[in-house]
Amino acid sequence: MLIEYYPSESYVHKLDVRTKALGFLVFTIISFVFLSPVINLLIVVCACVILFTIGTPFLGIKKIIKPLLPIFIFMLLITGFTYPASNFTSEENQKTLFSLGTIPFTLGGFLYGITLVLRILIMVITSTIVTYTTPIEDILQLLKRIKIPHQFAFIIATGIRFIPTMQKKSEMIQEAQKARGAEIGTDGFIKSIGSYITVLIPLIVDSLRMSDNLAIAMLNRGFGAMKTTTDLNEIKMKRRDYLICFGEVILIAFAFWLRSKNIGVL
Amino acid sequence: MVEVLERGSLKVDLLRFKYKNSLTDIFSSLNFKIERGEFIGLMGRTGAGKTTTMMLLNGLVPHFLEGDFEGNIIANTMNTRRYRVQTMARFIGLVLQDPETQIFGITVEKDVAFGPSNLAFGKEKIREVIGKSLKAVGLEGYEKRMTSELSGGEKQRLAIAGVLAMEPEILVLDEPTSELDPAGKEEIYKLLSGLKKKGDVTILISGHDTEEMLEYADRIIVLDDGQKIWEGRPTVLFKNVVLTKKVGIRPPEVTEIGNCLKECGLLDQGSVFINRNEFLQFTKKNLLSFKTSDNGSGKGHSVGNDSIAIETRDLSFNYEQKNSALNELNIKIHKGEFVALIGKNGAGKTTFSKQLNGLLRPTKGTVYINGKDIGRLTTAQLSKEVGYVFQNPDHQIFSATVYEEVEFGLKKMNLSEKIRSTRINSALEFVGLEKFTKRHPFTLGKGERQKLAFATVLVMEPKILIIDEPTTGQDWDGTNKMMRMLDKLHMQGHTILMITHNMILAAEYADRVIVFSNGKVLLDGPPEKVFYESEILKSASITAPDCVILAAELRDTGYKNYPVTINKLQNDLLEQLARKGNVN
Repeated sequence: MLIEYYPSESYVHKLDVRTKALGFLVFTIISFVFLSPVINLLIVVCACVILFTIGTPFLGIKKIIKPLLPIFIFMLLITGFTYPASNFTSEENQKTLFSLGTIPFTLGGFLYGITLVLRILIMVITSTIVTYTTPIEDILQLLKRIKIPHQFAFIIATGIRFIPTMQKKSEMIQEAQKARGAEIGTDGFIKSIGSYITVLIPLIVDSLRMSDNLAIAMLNRGFGAMKTTTDLNEIKMKRRDYLICFGEVILIAFAFWLRSKNIGVL
Repeated sequence: MVEVLERGSLKVDLLRFKYKNSLTDIFSSLNFKIERGEFIGLMGRTGAGKTTTMMLLNGLVPHFLEGDFEGNIIANTMNTRRYRVQTMARFIGLVLQDPETQIFGITVEKDVAFGPSNLAFGKEKIREVIGKSLKAVGLEGYEKRMTSELSGGEKQRLAIAGVLAMEPEILVLDEPTSELDPAGKEEIYKLLSGLKKKGDVTILISGHDTEEMLEYADRIIVLDDGQKIWEGRPTVLFKNVVLTKKVGIRPPEVTEIGNCLKECGLLDQGSVFINRNEFLQFTKKNLLSFKTSDNGSGKGHSVGNDSIAIETRDLSFNYEQKNSALNELNIKIHKGEFVALIGKNGAGKTTFSKQLNGLLRPTKGTVYINGKDIGRLTTAQLSKEVGYVFQNPDHQIFSATVYEEVEFGLKKMNLSEKIRSTRINSALEFVGLEKFTKRHPFTLGKGERQKLAFATVLVMEPKILIIDEPTTGQDWDGTNKMMRMLDKLHMQGHTILMITHNMILAAEYADRVIVFSNGKVLLDGPPEKVFYESEILKSASITAPDCVILAAELRDTGYKNYPVTINKLQNDLLEQLARKGNVN
């Protein structure tokens, strides 16, 4: 789903995982503080600037956003039609753009829908920035610091490690089925769902067998032999991390201050 | 009896073992001892119990894979009954067959660090062992690479590095070379023998690699049906025709010639050749000199007729990120030909094959099947003409019974129930699975699953068959059975393309050999020609079958033929010896 970690030397790559995690939180919280799409749009632009300056592949982002588009449109429609005019403080927003029968589509509702869409975009983009620039080991150490058991963290890491493997396997299974006369992806929606199920079954059978082998391989590599394990690269806050974290705290305080002055409402 | 065992030694005293919930796989009285620093080969058929034996050594059996266990296994002075597998792992490293499930890290470096950090080695120490073990397996400079982007051979080496990094005293490897090309195979054995020389690592390796076992192993232990039936020096084992036949081990090619000469009374008992030098000495001693140059080449197979089954014109192909995988290929394959595609891993053999049924589409150029441009046909539409058997049977099996599995392809074909069932039964009969129609495919053995995958393609009755490494990971018996099936289909007039790393099979069965290298055709011709281009083959890291090398070395004596199979060379020799009269 998210873009995988890719080793590089960009300025975000060099930051500590905690700085990035805090940044993700700050951006997300700010997006929930304001109702007006203007400020959220500003955050999206900022996030996009960061995203592209660190060299994230455009194709990967397209892949994530594309399946979300129908959901976005659905959200705009729902909010536009269901938010009654009385919900909005400004007169402008109480205006009805058009009506479907007796149900009015309000400008405020439409704008609120945009805000919701932008919130999702913000979370998608900022989490992509984190996953693209942070090795999974660092995220595991973060989990360890907040006292999440090692075994649990290991399950997450192994799951992520096997995403490309499973993708490759599912491709191979589909190829084998095509070579035996199955039309995959050319048959219309319902039928192609059916053909994906026949892909899923061998995939599940295969992963069950793989998980057994994996357990054996873990024992072979001494998993659980000692009470503690060594972390090769321990995460470390540097000066720039402290600076940026400070900036992030200021930013969120500023956001709350603005909100208290009734800025960014609808 | 009090016995002092050294560190790094192994002692197996298994009285009996039977897997829980299993009726077969019974082990009884398995006893052997391995001294520190030895290099031991473990051989035997698929299903003889090699993997279980290896899992016994670090306690995976019976601690993880439970069963009825009686006996004592002492590895590195530790009785496996008393230690956890994880603790044993510090001293006895086990590398299993499938590298994919033995890689945990997202980058190479992190994966190698997994073992040592589980053992809580210090940070400096871990850095040191990462460097050392990657160097040992020839993956220096790969530290930051993503493990998902490695090739099969690289993954296999990484799996070994991951275990080496734990600095075990005993290294146990279960068929680590089964998916490698010949050059990669040789590299693994060289690496292991290097390790053995350097430190006091004890090595136990299983596999079907006759030539390598002969060269590198100090001792061979032969298993059959869960029992040790033989133990001794490899030279003795391979000379023993009766035994090797019985346990399904392929003897070296030169030994086969020796045995034939012995049977004809031309060689003393016990003086069967085990390496090429012995053979050459024999020919020198007998002052063999060939004067005739009878030309009996060609195999008597039906070589293809004039109409063309497959043609590619200026076929080029690029994968998304990588450089060109196929480069302007112009290949014509006639109906009824048996073509072997050979070349290193990654040379473009599979990429080329997948163009022929539309699984991959050319970036440039055209593919014609039976004269038709296939650009507009889907893979499914082509499936009646081009059958494709993939390498791993497990990705080709989707159904709950063997019968349904074979039926899969027919469902889309609008056939009557009756025709369907005749076709299914005849396909199953052809591969010898007719008794298993009701079984679940995954309860079959690996060799049988491979046959099933083969049947699922045969049932579509394609006239062109592409088979990707049909003998990978199979023992000698299984290999022969598979090849006999292919030969039979060839005789029936099918066009066959076989991707293989096994040069002996390519030489024996194919009418034509195409050598791929970096997405180009390096050589193309009958095996009698291709395998004698030793310089060009070398540049593609291909070693010709032994008998080609022998024939080349006989050139001094005036030998002029170009045999590619042992039988041919053998016959030439016998003829010559007969002409010369009595020998010895």
